[in-house]
Amino acid sequence: MSMTWRRPIAGLLILSGLLTLAYLGVSSYIAEQLVYEAPKPIVSTPANLGLRFANVTVPSRDDHINLKGWFIPGVLPDGRLTVERMIIVVHGTRTNRESPGDHLLQLTGALAHNGLGVLSFDMRGMGESPPAPLSMGNLEQRDVLGAVDFLRTGTLPIPELGRPRFIGGLGISMGAATLLLAAAREPAIQAVVSDSAFADAAPLLEREIPKRKVAVIGQIPGGLAPSALVMARILYGVDLFDARPVDSIARIAPRPLLLIHGAADDYVPISNFQQLVAAATLPATARVTTWIVPNTRHAQAFKNTGAAYVARVVTFFDAGLGVARTSTGAAA
Amino acid sequence: MKTIQAFQPLVALIGLAALLIALVTVAQAVSGLAGFLVERQVVLIVWLAGLLIASVVFAWVVRRTLRRDASRSSLLVMTLTVLGLASPLALMLLQHPAH
Repeated sequence: MSMTWRRPIAGLLILSGLLTLAYLGVSSYIAEQLVYEAPKPIVSTPANLGLRFANVTVPSRDDHINLKGWFIPGVLPDGRLTVERMIIVVHGTRTNRESPGDHLLQLTGALAHNGLGVLSFDMRGMGESPPAPLSMGNLEQRDVLGAVDFLRTGTLPIPELGRPRFIGGLGISMGAATLLLAAAREPAIQAVVSDSAFADAAPLLEREIPKRKVAVIGQIPGGLAPSALVMARILYGVDLFDARPVDSIARIAPRPLLLIHGAADDYVPISNFQQLVAAATLPATARVTTWIVPNTRHAQAFKNTGAAYVARVVTFFDAGLGVARTSTGAAA
Repeated sequence: MKTIQAFQPLVALIGLAALLIALVTVAQAVSGLAGFLVERQVVLIVWLAGLLIASVVFAWVVRRTLRRDASRSSLLVMTLTVLGLASPLALMLLQHPAH
């Protein structure tokens, strides 16, 4: 009997071992695709919107990656420049500080034209910043924290304007999730606007990975998604399971938080927004404002609503950070 | 003693996995000095080459083990090894069918 079964069992054993190794091999290839994408070039600058700006280098906190960014003073109604209130603008994944897909540069310009200074930068591995693994906010939160350090203690490019008195943040998509993670750790971020953030990166990736096609393999089988996330951790030290703003958003209270989401978002479903709202409003001191934008897909709220979006965000920052003062000291 | 020998494929697999992860960690640390663009390629090449070598070594260990001992107990141990290897894979692929 033993001799009869020897060959089939040997065959099965080798087959299952080889399949396991092949599974790991393909998963690691997908992981490599997950953590890297060639950076997209920046075509326009704030100068195209008639704004004065300076190119800056912002070191990330802890790992000191030199991130490239724009320091844009706000423009007061009397035409003078101000950096009294600075907003850290955080772009989404696989794009840059210009982010034409969601009109981020235009939004940045609109904030500056409303008296809010802006520090906009390319997160690690994107735009003009140095190559680094993409981690859905887990590592990128150090970039936002570096931006806070830069505004508080760094060498600012227009010293005659002084140093910011108030710091806020605005993030879109993964940038919003990253900002939520950073703001939970850094009380110097005094008001937060989060547009289209996810609550937890892993389920989003597990759902989205099979929709993608990669070179050689083509359409990715769904069963490879969870192991690709594990492989990203083993091979590149990127913990995609740990990018969970839903766990830390409550720590933003009592600072004001504006959560925006498109009602027709099919990339980060509205359930993410609901989870974030539920978690953010848990503390008794929470100051959470919400805006669900009708008929709007992922990260398209500003693109679809334009002036209404800017009005809401500026009003929110005016309430959260205080109204900018003109050169005479009167409220603008 | 012979039954213990039947565990060799499983032990080999665990050992190879541990060795491979250690190798990747070293590759990560060394190539990381040259920047992430180099690191991501070096790590992937080391890992995939390691998997290829591991699969050859594993097949050789299975063949050798079965040549030395094809008793009922050792076959049973190896059947359990097959199940141990195949079940997580099957479960993962069945729970997440291709879209």
